[in-house]
Amino acid sequence: MRVQVKLFASYREIVGVRQLAWTLKDGETLGALVDAVVDAYPRLRGHRDTMFLAVNRAYAQPDVALRDGDEVALLPPVSGGLE
Amino acid sequence: MIRIQRSPIDVEAVIDSVRRDDAGAIAMFLGTVRAEPDVDALDYEVYKPMAIRTLADLVDVAKAKFGVIAMSIVHRVGRVSVGSDSVAIACAAVHRAEAFSACAWAMDEVKRVVPIWKQETGPRTPRAGRRRSSARRKTR
Repeated sequence: MRVQVKLFASYREIVGVRQLAWTLKDGETLGALVDAVVDAYPRLRGHRDTMFLAVNRAYAQPDVALRDGDEVALLPPVSGGLE
Repeated sequence: MIRIQRSPIDVEAVIDSVRRDDAGAIAMFLGTVRAEPDVDALDYEVYKPMAIRTLADLVDVAKAKFGVIAMSIVHRVGRVSVGSDSVAIACAAVHRAEAFSACAWAMDEVKRVVPIWKQETGPRTPRAGRRRSSARRKTR
């Protein structure tokens, strides 16, 4: 399956693009996708613990199963801090 | 009224958007960009579809939680110079206590959950700008 991965603020600067198209196995989780993206862009690794995740424009947990066509977003902590 | 916009905020229009005959109070909050050494402006970046959705949810919760009659939230994105308003929240309620409480709660929530990021710009800013962590924010 194929999903879109949106990147914002410092993550966009690290990766160099606003959006990635990512192919992964059917049934894979959001967490597995993030691991793969971080492996491909190791400078994201230091941000892994403070990263927030969204699927189809709503906050999501790493254990959620992705579906073909999902819009995933990797979100740095927002201005006021969600931590 | 829920808006994410590049243009300056029309504060009067935000207030008018929550006026109701059954409201005895309107509380208004403005977040403004504060002057700091070497800072001329803040650049705001947004994940707009999610921000709009998050703001709409937030207004629904405010109505249920505080019994407010109407709430509007307008947030600017792009470059906002020192002294300008970056966010406006207007809240109408039957009595002032609910209006004040809901307005303060909503602003805390905006900062906590709405996907908007800011970056300082100024005369010494390198091309990529300087990101400000949540621990030492510069506005609102």
